[in-house]
Amino acid sequence: MTVDLDKYVKPGRDYYIALGLEGSANKLGVGIIRQPVGQLSQTNRAEVLSNVRDTYVTPPGEGFLPRDTARHHRNWVVRIIKRALSEAKVTGADLDCICFTQGPGMGAPLQSVVVAARTLAQLWELPLVGVNHCVGHIEMGREITGADNPVVLYVSGGNTQVIAYSKQRYRIFGETLDIAIGNCLDRFARTLKIPNEPAPGYNIEQMAKKGKHLVNLPYTVKGMDLSMSGILAHVDGLAKDMFGKQGKKLVDEETGELITAEDLCFSLQEILYSMLVEITERALAHVNSNQVLIVGGVGSNERLQEMMKLMIQDRKNGQIYATDERFCIDNGIMIAHAGLLSYRTGQTNDLWNTVCTQRFRTDEVFVKWRDD
Amino acid sequence: MSQKAGSAKLSSTLSLSVPFENEKQATIACKSLSPDPILKADELVVTYKTEGSSLVLKFEGISDRVIRVAISNFIDNLKTVVECMDEFDGKKDFLFEQY
Repeated sequence: MTVDLDKYVKPGRDYYIALGLEGSANKLGVGIIRQPVGQLSQTNRAEVLSNVRDTYVTPPGEGFLPRDTARHHRNWVVRIIKRALSEAKVTGADLDCICFTQGPGMGAPLQSVVVAARTLAQLWELPLVGVNHCVGHIEMGREITGADNPVVLYVSGGNTQVIAYSKQRYRIFGETLDIAIGNCLDRFARTLKIPNEPAPGYNIEQMAKKGKHLVNLPYTVKGMDLSMSGILAHVDGLAKDMFGKQGKKLVDEETGELITAEDLCFSLQEILYSMLVEITERALAHVNSNQVLIVGGVGSNERLQEMMKLMIQDRKNGQIYATDERFCIDNGIMIAHAGLLSYRTGQTNDLWNTVCTQRFRTDEVFVKWRDD
Repeated sequence: MSQKAGSAKLSSTLSLSVPFENEKQATIACKSLSPDPILKADELVVTYKTEGSSLVLKFEGISDRVIRVAISNFIDNLKTVVECMDEFDGKKDFLFEQY
């Protein structure tokens, strides 16, 4: 039996269109998606009509604060919605619903965007659909890559989770016990005062490519979970010793060559990604799967993709799926896509039920649109 | 801002009336802004209602400072609501081009 996804199609139409609003962190995204009727498959695919994003970028050495990020979103949200509508060449009357990120994320930015979603939904008399940010990433990743039932590695600035689907829930197999991997990389970028443009993690990746020496850092996998705050403190300490007032010189034990900032970036990436590969591999064994889907902002890191590929190649029929920065990094289209699936199964939110929440776990969502 | 004598706790109050073009807009603004809960419910109570084409708010807080912060936050969100109305009200069938 499969789920009937077409109980709510508009009379005389064989497709749906949804607008999605994302603003859980420093990216403000608006996307418009079109889904044909029937089950989505390789021959019946969703179509991205527009996917517009504006990122709040802070100066080197500074992170983004909730209040300032919310102000950025408020300043841009109406303009970005108009741009998305104009690129997609659709009108409000073409839309089936308006989807928004209900959590998890930073409270103030989430709230600044949902106010626009509520107003627009009322002005155009459209239903609202609240979307879990993580589920948005997973569904968009599945749609873009065609991975049908993968183990999902969700790695971003605010989240680090290994997820597998079972019985209408995306279940968390392992996760970070403290900070997210993207947060760890971003904060190290701040210590090194490297630019946040286009993304701190991207700049770390470029520096890491020039690194040669592996510096010894703690390796902290705890069962299926991992911990990264200790690693950050350690590598931060090394960087402060090297570039602070002390100006302490570190040398590579084997070659006697000086350790550089590039070496630290290289070592941090290597150690963090090895940990991710380890828990992902264990999750694959648990659920007897051979597909890995990497989603989230850190998923656009090529070194992580490469290391995951090396692991997956050793498994029988192993396959790795990843998307590019348009869909990896937070965006509105994934919210539109996941929200529309939810809408097609009759799940919508009344206005009083649209309050955003900073904590909203992936496994709280009832995945009504799947029943495999 | 008036200091209500007698009630020890929520002693500071302030009323705000925001005029809109019509009753429908006032109602939409009320419904867009009122769902979000106040974080410290024991320090601040905000009530929303519409009177004709106006949105009327009543802030009751333990101090002037609490009310000032709440109003500043309200105005920030109100700006989004008003901008949405300016740009999208009555334009459900309008095709936005070149933004």
